[in-house]
Amino acid sequence: MLDNSRTASQQLLRWGIYGLLALMALIYLMPLWVMLLTSLKDIEEIRSGTLLSLPQGLNFDAWQKAWSSACTGGTCEGISPYLANSFLIVIPAVAISTLVGALNGYVVAMWRFRGSELFFGLLLVGCFIPFQVVLLPMARTLSFLGLANTTTGLVLVHVVYGIAFTTLFFRNFYVGLPRELISAARLDGAGFFTIFRRIILPLSTPIIVVTVIWQFTQIWNDFLFGVVFSGSDTQPVTVALNNLVNTSFGGKQYNVDMAAALIAALPTLLVYVLAGKYFVRGLTAGAVKG
Amino acid sequence: MNNIDAVQTLSEAKRAPLARIQDRLADWLPKLVLTPTLLVVLVCMYGYILWTGLLSLTNSRLLPVWNFIGTGQYDRLFDNDRWLVALNNLVLFGGLFILVCLALGVFLAILLDQKIRQEGALRTIYLYPMAISFIVTGTAWKWLLNPSLGLEKLVHSWGFDSFSFDWLVDPDRVVFCLVIAAVWQSSGFVMAMFLAGLRGVDQEMVKAAQLDGASMPTIYRRIILPSLKPVFFSAFVILAHIAIKSFDLVAALTGGGPGYSSDLPANFMYTHAFTRAQMGLGAASAMVMLGGVLAILVPYLYSELRGKRNA
Amino acid sequence: MAALTIDNVQKRYGQTEVLKGIDIAIDKGEFLILVGPSGCGKSTLMNSIAGLEEVSDGRILIGDQDVTRASPKDRDIAMVFQSYALYPNMTVRQNIAFGLEIRKVPKAEREAEVKRVAQMLQIEHLLERKPSQLSGGQRQRVAMGRALARRPRLYLFDEPLSNLDAKLRVEMRTEIKKLHQRLGTTIVYVTHDQIEAMTLADRIAVMRDGELLQLATPQEIYDNPANQFVAGFMGSPAMNFIPCQLAQGDTGIGVQLEDGNGQPVWLPLPDGGAGLQQAQLGKTVTLGLRPEMITEPQPHKAGQPLVREVAIRVDVTEPTGADTMVLTELSGVEVNCRVNPRYPLATGQLASLMFDMSKAVLFDPITEARLDN
Repeated sequence: MLDNSRTASQQLLRWGIYGLLALMALIYLMPLWVMLLTSLKDIEEIRSGTLLSLPQGLNFDAWQKAWSSACTGGTCEGISPYLANSFLIVIPAVAISTLVGALNGYVVAMWRFRGSELFFGLLLVGCFIPFQVVLLPMARTLSFLGLANTTTGLVLVHVVYGIAFTTLFFRNFYVGLPRELISAARLDGAGFFTIFRRIILPLSTPIIVVTVIWQFTQIWNDFLFGVVFSGSDTQPVTVALNNLVNTSFGGKQYNVDMAAALIAALPTLLVYVLAGKYFVRGLTAGAVKG
Repeated sequence: MNNIDAVQTLSEAKRAPLARIQDRLADWLPKLVLTPTLLVVLVCMYGYILWTGLLSLTNSRLLPVWNFIGTGQYDRLFDNDRWLVALNNLVLFGGLFILVCLALGVFLAILLDQKIRQEGALRTIYLYPMAISFIVTGTAWKWLLNPSLGLEKLVHSWGFDSFSFDWLVDPDRVVFCLVIAAVWQSSGFVMAMFLAGLRGVDQEMVKAAQLDGASMPTIYRRIILPSLKPVFFSAFVILAHIAIKSFDLVAALTGGGPGYSSDLPANFMYTHAFTRAQMGLGAASAMVMLGGVLAILVPYLYSELRGKRNA
Repeated sequence: MAALTIDNVQKRYGQTEVLKGIDIAIDKGEFLILVGPSGCGKSTLMNSIAGLEEVSDGRILIGDQDVTRASPKDRDIAMVFQSYALYPNMTVRQNIAFGLEIRKVPKAEREAEVKRVAQMLQIEHLLERKPSQLSGGQRQRVAMGRALARRPRLYLFDEPLSNLDAKLRVEMRTEIKKLHQRLGTTIVYVTHDQIEAMTLADRIAVMRDGELLQLATPQEIYDNPANQFVAGFMGSPAMNFIPCQLAQGDTGIGVQLEDGNGQPVWLPLPDGGAGLQQAQLGKTVTLGLRPEMITEPQPHKAGQPLVREVAIRVDVTEPTGADTMVLTELSGVEVNCRVNPRYPLATGQLASLMFDMSKAVLFDPITEARLDN
């Protein structure tokens, strides 16, 4: 890579670029670092120190409190029960919306019929509508079905409004597979579901990973549906965190707030660190629509 | 011809009726599979939009009542000072958010495109906020921007005693706090989109420009960035979409305050529809939001489709 | 009983007619090739035979069974695709056995069949590999193996060699021909490569715009094309089409055109133009003459009644090694001649070439239909 003829000014420019990139990296990392530092301090250290001053020791009191005894609105059980709620909502919602999206994408890409493109177009709009416009009717529907304030109701809502994206992902992936694959399998005697199970699904691992990660982060991070459709005991962790932060019982406990925020962020951050490559792919797939 | 006719009747008779029914069913399977989704889409998207639209024409408060009052709710909406503040905030917040995100995203992408060692690690760092919920982002920045204990105190400790940073409690500046947090969260995404776009640029075109004697900045400005127009377009649409839907960030970072100075339309809609028993007004504000999204989306989709047809 | 009968098959997409009533019947063991320019409907016809597309009208029979409305799996057909369409997630062995497995053939039989096919195609050493680990030619063999394994009544090949490089294509062409001769299978084969069509086919069906223009043996199509399109499509370099007038000569009706000096020259027609009438004299027609019928003067042919020497101007020479192609202009159109490379030629100079009119054909200049001569 090193070029002997590179002049001093080019060398300088290179250092400048690295310096700038490193500075930006520090700025992007700072909030996370501050959260971590704050969560390890006690209130006195917070008052006397600054954002970046190091804690005197590893003090996990705030984490413990955030986990099991901090008050979120009415109750004071920490955010752990709500973390569990989030998992109860996210796991079935991700599984169902991914499966439905895979089947839809398979049909739209491989078994086109008159009207299937129209169907896809109708569905695509669903990726864009501001959900505010469906909140009121959905609330009425859920209470009509007896699902108001239930985990099942939230799962349903997330599935309904997640299908548009999952179908888009799978459709865009399947469009890239040769249609002749389907023709060959049909001549070999395989039917609709056999082809899906034996040929298409085994090829779908990358797009399944992308979709699962996308749906997981979307649903985990959701606040709007959570705050509108959940009851006090079925709240997802985002809603509980917001309540915790905005409940002021005898002074702000920033350390507990930060610990709780980190706990709420941990699952998606973990997914991002472990499977960041797929996360990016999901984002850009969602970006390059159609 | 005659013997072909005879053959046909023979073979028709030979085929078991059950097998024929199965064949017909197999033909219908793809349509059958799409049916549940189609119903869900028609009811839960288009049906609900219609429903909300109708609600916005009634004087419903806590519960829907089908008492149509024409466009009264829209008149009320645009007389409502809080709504006007929210709209104003959206223009300010959305405009700045999109502009800064685009500028920062393009800037970082170009820097990262210079054969940087550790590019993967840097990319990961710029993008990680995107994995975090806006609620967490809001919580974190609420602390960072805290007027007495946050960044202000940090800068004081560096010796700049006169530094003052209290935007979070300043009704005139609180929107900028939203912009800072939102940019921190979303600019990495824009960077990723542009980096992917830059990687797709034809290297021979760049070489040709170099042979023509163009410097790298000129090549970026005159050749590479103009060729990324579709990426600009997509990024703009996505960012605008995020801005219009922004609800959680406001809820977590400012709670709409001080007063209602940092409200966005999404928060207005939620507050009126669900906590203030103003269902008709909430529905009307939701319809206006939909109109805003469509105003951006329809030209975008139109140009996308037209571009595809020409291609 | 024909192995495959295509009876007045029509296909419409909305207003556009893709197949305009095709009639073809082929015998058991016959190798039929469908050729035509892209968009001529040959692939649609192929897919209709396979059952991958529904026909709008007409019938398709395989053996004595009407399969017009039958689903692909019930037609007992195997197909080799242009992209090979190997299942990427399965090994070669699984690819070949898949169709048998779906049809619930017992495992032992499946294995025996895979072994037989693999031996026949010499791909035994590849059986445990995935398609992504194979070269183009190997994939092609596996695709054929998958088709052979089911021993179907009919094989369809959809441009199977077009993704191979030139050398491999020739090799596989020979291989397919050998396989066909050995197994006596019935094959319908789509290609746009007219050399493939000539070398492989028992009969060729030339299509254009959804119509069947001619269905005949390769030699018949080459020598006796039904119209100017077929004549121009088959053969490389293409047949020369020279505008000329019908004129009476000493041995009957012939054609008159301008030579390289701009002088009128009269050429005889086979059988003295017996199929033409005196009333047609003076009429402008298109003379079809293949390049290999315009050569250097050959002493052993000199004096034959249908052979004439004509002066032409050498515009361009293109040596190919075996022959030298000479481009000249006659009656205002470019004409290709195939000349012995040792025959002395100078660009821009006149040369005397021998026109052998024994295979000459005439076309109507407007309808492009064949004229009897």
